[in-house]
Amino acid sequence: MVLATYNIKGGVGKTSAAVNLAYLAAREGNSVLLWDLDPQAASTYLFRVRPEVKGGGRGLVKQRHPLEDLIKATDHEGLDLLPADFSYRHLDLALDSFKKPEQRLGKVLEPLRSEYDYIFLDCPPSISLVSESVFEVADALLVPVIPATLSSRVYEQLEELGGRGAVGRGNTRLFAFFSMVETRKPLHISVMERLRRIHRLDVLGVGIPSSDDVEMMGELRNPVAVFAPRGQAAIAYQALWSEISRRLLDSERPAGR
Amino acid sequence: MIATELIATDEHPLTAARAALAGLVPMRISEAETFERVYYDTFDGLLYEAGLTLRFERGRLILERRDGGGEMISEAVNGPLATPAKIEALLPGHMREQLHLLVGVRAINEIARVVLTSSTVAVLDELEKTVVRLQVESPAGMRGRVIVRPLRGYQRECKRVTEALLDSSALALAGRPLVDEAVLMRSGNPGGIRSEVDVELYSQDPAAVAVSRILIRLADVGEGNLPGVLANTDTEFLHDYRVALRRTRAVVREMPGVFPESRYRWLREELKWLQTATGEVRDLDVYLRDFEELRELAPKALQADLEPLLRVLEDRHGQARATMLADLGSDRARALLSQWRELLEALATMPVEDRPDARTPIGELASQRIRKVHRRMVKMGKAIEPSSPPTDYHELRKKGKELRYLLELFGRQLHDPDVVKPMIKALKGLQDVLGHHQDREVQIETLRALADDVVQQPGGARALMAMGALIERLEHDAEQARGEFHERFEAFSSKEQRRLVKETFSR
Repeated sequence: MVLATYNIKGGVGKTSAAVNLAYLAAREGNSVLLWDLDPQAASTYLFRVRPEVKGGGRGLVKQRHPLEDLIKATDHEGLDLLPADFSYRHLDLALDSFKKPEQRLGKVLEPLRSEYDYIFLDCPPSISLVSESVFEVADALLVPVIPATLSSRVYEQLEELGGRGAVGRGNTRLFAFFSMVETRKPLHISVMERLRRIHRLDVLGVGIPSSDDVEMMGELRNPVAVFAPRGQAAIAYQALWSEISRRLLDSERPAGR
Repeated sequence: MIATELIATDEHPLTAARAALAGLVPMRISEAETFERVYYDTFDGLLYEAGLTLRFERGRLILERRDGGGEMISEAVNGPLATPAKIEALLPGHMREQLHLLVGVRAINEIARVVLTSSTVAVLDELEKTVVRLQVESPAGMRGRVIVRPLRGYQRECKRVTEALLDSSALALAGRPLVDEAVLMRSGNPGGIRSEVDVELYSQDPAAVAVSRILIRLADVGEGNLPGVLANTDTEFLHDYRVALRRTRAVVREMPGVFPESRYRWLREELKWLQTATGEVRDLDVYLRDFEELRELAPKALQADLEPLLRVLEDRHGQARATMLADLGSDRARALLSQWRELLEALATMPVEDRPDARTPIGELASQRIRKVHRRMVKMGKAIEPSSPPTDYHELRKKGKELRYLLELFGRQLHDPDVVKPMIKALKGLQDVLGHHQDREVQIETLRALADDVVQQPGGARALMAMGALIERLEHDAEQARGEFHERFEAFSSKEQRRLVKETFSR
């Protein structure tokens, strides 16, 4: 199962979500891979891995080296990382050299599907060949949304993404969830209500609160569940993961059961 | 990626590891934890054979590869297994599924138990990332160990650390894993107790010597399985016990010239008695094991009516076991087993006056016997027609077993394996059909024998009707098996085969 955290905007909690959810999935006993696709290499940093990939982004999509050689184990049992590299800023160019560029990532990822129960893709904030490729390969997109006043554009984009019903190949599910929520702000509450009413958009029940713990991740370089397991953020991520994994399993079951 | 296990020669393993790596790499050492670890396997080491270990520690049941390839399955459990444990006693899940594939009906026993103190040493890089993990274990009463667990993507660092550890005089590669050492410490055998007879034979050995070695090994197998038989730990103990006994009887029967004439008849009678004393329980073990399969052979509408039969079978089984236990614990059995042992120990060196074959080279004697039994089998088989009574098939089957045992015990070692192996295979093919036929006949007979008991049970009359329908079906099956027999026997007794046998077993 391939999951991608995605939003065209940066700073909305994509990486925090990818890191924390991947950690929780591994803690349950699953084998998990997190692939950092963002040249900023934030999740790579959070797992204390050097942001270097042999052969760079180009070598990776050209499959010059076997993926096993590039993957690193994190400090956490069951969780591996495919690091990002600064050369990923040219990933679009590298993908473009192929005939069906948006399918290339899927091809590269294919051998890993059988090895890992979950593959998380931490996507760069952009609309590009990379994000198109992610839409193709992902089984589900997880879209964090800060419930502040959304520019109407972003709002429309979300509606459109959700309206396609399915993105990419046609069976990619889309889940939005609230991120960096401040429940004391009436604005946040009203925006959340409004978004939940969009029928075509699947908004998850759990929102991630704005939290110092999440800020501390950059300092302590660990998922929140490791250093602040009883904090609000850790609890929220756990609830979010439970909801996501349940929804994914439900969608796997054939109709009528 | 494989973990490497090192043993600390005299120091505490943590001291040794720290000393070896100090100044080379930064380390973070976890708190030490002390806990008890319990190891499990079947009586015959099925997990060992599959290259796995099963252990309980700190609330988890873990199935791991012996070669350091890592944990396969790890499940949270309430506590150590209550042994002997049957797979059905485990909670449904991945572990149970996998163990069922590996051990089938065999019970799982505790093979070793250690109390150990464990700590983890994380070797760090300059980003304070763990790049190699060392598991340091100090089992009470044994030398300590350091297990180097590589992390994906950090093979170079792992190699460096392993080399530094090996350079130290305080650490060396462990010759065997902890589980094996723990088992040996309590006088067990790490691979369990197998029922194979792997005695080395040489063609020129005097028959009395060769035979005594084989029979002593078979007696050991029987003795090893006996406690499991008495305790009814699982059905395989009795099966293996009886196979050892049958093999013994085959050798005694086919090589009379090795044994003192004066004891020979007593020996054969007593061994036969022992076989008979265990027969009913084995039949019922199999019956109960296959009951549901048997039930499916009855017409669908009548299948549920067979419950009273199951109850009677279970009762009978209980009674048969009680009788068998009494027989096995009797003075007669004790006398047989101790005198048998004595005889075997003396067989090689006893006077040879009344033992014409004692000094015959075993190669020659075995060849002779194999040829003879084979000839007899061919003759018996040829005389069988589809209309022949079931006993004829049964006798042939018994003969076939004898031939197979001779081939397995002697033929494999002393003759051309390229001939013996396919011969055993062809024989097994024939035995399968005969066995199937025999099973059906036994099932029919048992059903008839139990009829009186069944009819007395509540629901007995209906059960009887279902049994009747079942018998009809079984008879049909048996007839089919008889048809198949002829085909297989043709292949077995062909001119080509017979020539091959004559050639191969000519010395």
